[in-house]
Amino acid sequence: MISEEKLKILTESAKYDVSCSSSGGKRKNTGGIGNSLAPGCCHSFTQDGRCVSLLKILLGNDCIYRCKYCPNRADTDAPRAEATPEEICELVIDFYKRNYIEGLFLSSAILKSPNYTMERLLATVKMLRKNYRFNGYIHLKGIPYADEGLAREAALYADRMSYNIELPSEKSLKLLAPQKSKESVLVPITQLTREKLIFKEEKRRGFFLPAGQTTQMIIGASPETDGQIVRLAQSLYRKTGLKRVYYSSYVPVVHDSLLPDISTPAIREHRLYQADWLMRFYGFSAEEIAPEGENLPLDFDPKCAWALRNMHLFPVEINRAPLEVLLRVPGIGGRSAYKITEARRYSTLSFEHLAKMRVVLKRARHFITCNGKYFGASERMIGGLLAAGEQNLQAKQLSLFDDNTAFSALTGEL
Amino acid sequence: MTYFYDGTKESFLTAFVLSYGDEDARLASSPTQLTLGQQSVFVRTDLKQAEKAEKRFLSFDPDSINELGLLLRSGEHARDMIALRYFRYLCKQKRPVGRNFAEPCVVEAAECIRRITTELHRMKGFIRFMECESGALYAPFAPDNDISDLLAPHFRARLPEFPFLIHDVPRKKATVYDGINTFTAPLERAGIVLSADETGWQSLWKRYYKSVNIPSRERLKQMRGYMPVRYWKYLPEKFTPL
Repeated sequence: MISEEKLKILTESAKYDVSCSSSGGKRKNTGGIGNSLAPGCCHSFTQDGRCVSLLKILLGNDCIYRCKYCPNRADTDAPRAEATPEEICELVIDFYKRNYIEGLFLSSAILKSPNYTMERLLATVKMLRKNYRFNGYIHLKGIPYADEGLAREAALYADRMSYNIELPSEKSLKLLAPQKSKESVLVPITQLTREKLIFKEEKRRGFFLPAGQTTQMIIGASPETDGQIVRLAQSLYRKTGLKRVYYSSYVPVVHDSLLPDISTPAIREHRLYQADWLMRFYGFSAEEIAPEGENLPLDFDPKCAWALRNMHLFPVEINRAPLEVLLRVPGIGGRSAYKITEARRYSTLSFEHLAKMRVVLKRARHFITCNGKYFGASERMIGGLLAAGEQNLQAKQLSLFDDNTAFSALTGEL
Repeated sequence: MTYFYDGTKESFLTAFVLSYGDEDARLASSPTQLTLGQQSVFVRTDLKQAEKAEKRFLSFDPDSINELGLLLRSGEHARDMIALRYFRYLCKQKRPVGRNFAEPCVVEAAECIRRITTELHRMKGFIRFMECESGALYAPFAPDNDISDLLAPHFRARLPEFPFLIHDVPRKKATVYDGINTFTAPLERAGIVLSADETGWQSLWKRYYKSVNIPSRERLKQMRGYMPVRYWKYLPEKFTPL
């Protein structure tokens, strides 16, 4: 059994990795333990509101690189630890059978050299699949600069692999992670995508990254705008066939003159995820979502912002609009659009019908007509009303007793 | 008139047929307060009549009997009336109505079913097994809806080599997988002897749960939304925080 101290160090070093999804796996139980649940499954939720689906852990955190933003970089005096493959495998199996986790998210700092690290990761995953006969979900972090043969072999055992592009531009990457380069990340991603295609084409047995690849970048540590970020994400989705791009708002854990000293507000990350969903599920393009040099508005969501810029397309008639148009109405998502398209085959829908169907009308009512009737506000007022509706996201009750706000609560000064 | 039935599908179908002409009919499968002057009957299940009704429903909508099975698992008090209104509407329309969301009784039934399937999915994550001395796994839990037997196939496919027992504590019943068969039986209390390592793994899990959190991004409301407090009683990381 791994020691609690070691588990603590290796988990705390891994916790800033964002991805924890376990969807897209295809493995069935063929003897041994575990299988994949295609839609994924969350097993717990931590106090920061994130789900615990996978056992997220580093193999070791003693890194030879010096990326400025990273708490594990070579020149900090963080506590160091390294786990053996056996320790990791045992931990996974015993957590898994108690239904604590859906699988393993294994990553590592660069120990000694990229190849050495990748070999250790591969050995762990191989041991878990072969010796422990584990069929659950495995997400493996790819190590930049490691041999392509190692990545190819790892892809046969992992369900998903991810190479982090870390920062949204090459310039920032050079500045903050001088030992990594754009190529060191993009080359293996495209290589694995290509090989997955060949694997499928030749109908080989077994699996080759059934849940595909993902990547992650830090938002707010460097000066890129949201417009640039969504364009980058779009090109990654289109050119490399990534399944997901994760955004992580910057939290200052290490101090450096090149890094901002304040956290990026969570709302910015939230807006980027909303924009990301619009691109993946709602048929929006990055160009529609945000102009290149601009950030997403914080007052309302990106779909509202788009609709307000394109008021000539609205209102749409709920009883006739095709699905792809319904999906572009602010406040109407996949589920509401489904209910509307199904229900309108039986009868003409009125505003009351929508309310009874629990379609959220707070935003939508300004952009639709029901059987010819409009229930929204006049066009000039819509922007203000929408922004007012979302303001409680940032609003905060001042306290008389909290040190920071007591003064301003008493004096009224901000 | 209030029709009391025993909560099974056959009994519901018998009660449904009995009450069909009655405009003010109320169906109930749990103790219900009667109002002054209200009459009540206890429905005796008539298997023949139930089968006839089932066939008729299937001819209207092949999905309907599955939906009924789910609705009757609901832990909500209103479930009997939700099912009654939905099936009366189905009988009136004589064709599938499950997606006519403009009709209040359909929305009601669809949402009730959704709450059950949502809980079923959540419980696939929130069940916590404990290892017994014999190597079998034991998981007590308290779901809102009667879903313990629906969970069994999921865990059976996943852990075929481990016998397990999923114990619905408030309903006093358990679903058991003995390594070959799955069955459901009444069970009030389980005498469990935990394996020697169990506490060790539990405290490792609690340590992990605490370490993976990012304290500077606390969002308790979001956590409670995803993992309601009523489920915490059987989650080791929650009932005895480290």
